[in-house]
Amino acid sequence: MSLQTNHKLLIATSSTIFLILTMTIAILPAFEAQKTGPLPGIESVEPDSPIAQGRLLYLKEGCATCHTQFVRDLPVDNPYGRGSLAGDYALESPPLLGTQRTGPDLSNVGIRQPSDVWNLIHLYNPRAVVPTSVMPGYPWYFEEKEQAAENDVVVVVPDRFKPQGTVIVATAEALSLVAYLQSLKQIEVVR
Amino acid sequence: MKCGSRLAGLKPILKNPPMNATLARPAGTEPESIKLIYHFLCWASFWLIVGTVYGLLAAIKLYWPEAVEFSLFSFGRIRPIHTTIVFFGWASMALMALTLFVVARTSKIPLQAPKMAWIGLQLWNVCLLMGLITLSLGISTGPQEYREVIGPIAIFYAVGLLLIFYSCYQTVARRATPEIYISNWYILGAFCWMTILSVTAYLPFYQDGMGNIIIQGYYMHNGVGLWFTPLVLGITYYALPRMLGKPIYSYALGVLGFWTNMVFYTLIGAHHYIFSPVPWWLQTTAILFSVGMMVPVWSGSGNFFLTAHGSWHKVRRSYAIIFLLTGIWGYALVSTQGTIEAFRSANVYWHFTNFTVGHSHLAMYGFVSFAIWGAIYGLLPRITGNELTEGAIGLHFWLAFVGGSIYVISISIAGILQGASWVAGDSFIASVDAAAPMWLWRSIGGFMMVASHIVFIVNLWNMRPKRETNLLDEAVAV
Repeated sequence: MSLQTNHKLLIATSSTIFLILTMTIAILPAFEAQKTGPLPGIESVEPDSPIAQGRLLYLKEGCATCHTQFVRDLPVDNPYGRGSLAGDYALESPPLLGTQRTGPDLSNVGIRQPSDVWNLIHLYNPRAVVPTSVMPGYPWYFEEKEQAAENDVVVVVPDRFKPQGTVIVATAEALSLVAYLQSLKQIEVVR
Repeated sequence: MKCGSRLAGLKPILKNPPMNATLARPAGTEPESIKLIYHFLCWASFWLIVGTVYGLLAAIKLYWPEAVEFSLFSFGRIRPIHTTIVFFGWASMALMALTLFVVARTSKIPLQAPKMAWIGLQLWNVCLLMGLITLSLGISTGPQEYREVIGPIAIFYAVGLLLIFYSCYQTVARRATPEIYISNWYILGAFCWMTILSVTAYLPFYQDGMGNIIIQGYYMHNGVGLWFTPLVLGITYYALPRMLGKPIYSYALGVLGFWTNMVFYTLIGAHHYIFSPVPWWLQTTAILFSVGMMVPVWSGSGNFFLTAHGSWHKVRRSYAIIFLLTGIWGYALVSTQGTIEAFRSANVYWHFTNFTVGHSHLAMYGFVSFAIWGAIYGLLPRITGNELTEGAIGLHFWLAFVGGSIYVISISIAGILQGASWVAGDSFIASVDAAAPMWLWRSIGGFMMVASHIVFIVNLWNMRPKRETNLLDEAVAV
């Protein structure tokens, strides 16, 4: 009976050790971590509210591929807010910390960039407001109409960024995505 | 000592060849096995083209954001498509193809339960196709790297994995040699670990809030180091001695690498979330064992280099061996880089930047893909009987090598420029402007990589199995 000659023993040993390590390093710490409650002041959102719908669109379009919502407690991250805490993410599933910052961190973007108008133009075509931006536009969340109807939310896109003779109207999706972005505000913590 | 360990490496292969296996043709070269392996490789290369065209499109979009502006091809959607397809479609399938050959050859019996492996392959194809469709439509588990495909589709993947595992396991279990060759340690290990990893990643019970992130770090990290790495190493422990025509330098180093890789690597997933609310002790453990990883990395790559040492005249004449050894260099290089990136001081400058993208391409391309190509070019002609010219392999090698180098170097510079811009406290868009020229270079490198894959497809076609009649004689002659 040795590992060199017994395949069952080999498989059992390597699986068992790996399972024990998995429990120690991942599953048990995860169970422990998810007990952390939300920071005081963070409230859950109704699933059918624009904010919750907007978050789903944020997931659908993979915004977190390029935008973190994860501030390290380091001087280099100061512009984005305070260091992120476990309580920031307690109600999020999945939480959107992210690993790439091709675009800026959005933990606090609701405070940094509160304007409806700016956000809508930016979502329609980012280059209309930030000339060298490489962010994708999301024109499929907007309608190009000849004339706006009474209750339409018209987006004031500069002429050279839209088809001639059209007005750009935000759909409910675009509005909910903006509502979600505006809701991204870090709760203040007294240290 | 050195001599003894060398002999030990080949003992299971050289001594007492079992009768039943030597009568007709070498194990693993039965017509059904050849067909199965070749089909695996064809599908792998199909997904390689799909996956890298998506990758190239994503690269182009960072330079030219209006390119192909349709929701189905939006950057945020195609990025996970690229990673999912090259991970599971290309690299995993190609490695499993080679695995099916290696388990049979080293066990000296025909591949067992080839039907199971066949069904497994088709389940993976179904999973990948459905994954491609759902991810294009934006249906995913969210930005959870390498597990973006939703649960119901992932079940196809899991069942397929188990079926292919079954085929490999049965082959090793019924081996005609007393000992389990070191390759099969790594191969069986990889299948066990990947099964556990995948189940852990998709079970929901502990994944609220930061629990999710702890699992994410564990999964995305080990998905590479306890699946791709051991499969590549297992295949190399067979392919390299075979291609050089000499025993492996040390069997013992292989065993040391096996255990240390399993223990150290598993503990370091949290180094993707340094300075995050992940418990501090987890982060510190991860950094510590990231340094520990130097043990399996250099024992593995050192073992291969020492095996090649003294045979450089052979290496010079074979692009297959050059491919494989470049892959091993990639392994040593990328792992050492990974250790450095794990330090907290390095994290400040490099984390969140494109430097990480360079690192992961050095891993999946410079290491995993190059080793796969080396093993395919070295082994497949022996199975199918169709040899290639060195020029054909050389063209693939140089396109992939120059393209991959341009890619990794330019995107790493982009990362350094981004980090420098952030540390300097410039406005954010300055980091985009600084990286932009490098994104153009990255696309040029990516274009050459895709071109090299087309050469690979042609080469694969030229290595297709010969007709059944003359297979037998050729195979015996190998």
